[in-house]
Amino acid sequence: MASTTPAEGAPAVAMGGDGGGGGGGGGGVAQLRLPSADEIRAQDIFNNCAVRTAVSGVMGGGMGVFMGMLFGALDTPLHAETMTARQQFVHAARTMGSRSMHMAKTFAIMGAIFSGTECLVEKARAKHDTVNTVTAGCVTGGSMSARAGPQAACLGCAGFAAFSVLIEKIFDRHE
Amino acid sequence: MASQVPPGVPVDREQIFGMAQQEMEYRVDLFNKLTQTCFDKCVERKYKEADLNVGENSCIDRCVAKYWQVTGIVGQMLGSNRSPLG
Repeated sequence: MASTTPAEGAPAVAMGGDGGGGGGGGGGVAQLRLPSADEIRAQDIFNNCAVRTAVSGVMGGGMGVFMGMLFGALDTPLHAETMTARQQFVHAARTMGSRSMHMAKTFAIMGAIFSGTECLVEKARAKHDTVNTVTAGCVTGGSMSARAGPQAACLGCAGFAAFSVLIEKIFDRHE
Repeated sequence: MASQVPPGVPVDREQIFGMAQQEMEYRVDLFNKLTQTCFDKCVERKYKEADLNVGENSCIDRCVAKYWQVTGIVGQMLGSNRSPLG
């Protein structure tokens, strides 16, 4: 037992606990700090596939609400001249509301499926590649257009995969 | 391995300290080698972002588990069978 205590102390010393990194170098250099236990736990929580799916679903829903409001505002009724301003406003509000809910659901499902699939595939392969993005995009596009038949599913798969690779490249350039 | 003192051996403070120091050096060396091996294997040299990806995390998990298993197996083989194999 006496030998395990110094052994367990050694990795702690080697890892520097939290915030024990050396501050060498010039005065303007940022100090290196090993991640604290809280940061590691936060990263672990975000690395969980279920959490990622939920977060992406919520973000997709938010985006869907905005896009629904945008498209709903552009959707003017046919008999616009015979309605008073108040009636037009009520009609526009209802259209925007229903459109928002519908788009929010669609985007939320899309985001959740994409994020969940990408996370699972990446966890299984243990590699960070574009193959994960392509697979997730294909599954998402295919499942969204699966109702329209196998050919539409293939087209949806290819189209969404290409779209998600494009978005990934754009985000890679920024970060 | 080195942590068990066989009964009947005269307990010497220097001896225990030496064994503990040896064990600690062994552990530190094992940790350093493990970190270096799994880092080289799992993390790409293109450092595009500061945080580990899901893939890299999972790779490091597997790498550490396998390394530990290999260490255990090799330790057992070395410990049990003193004569060189083959």
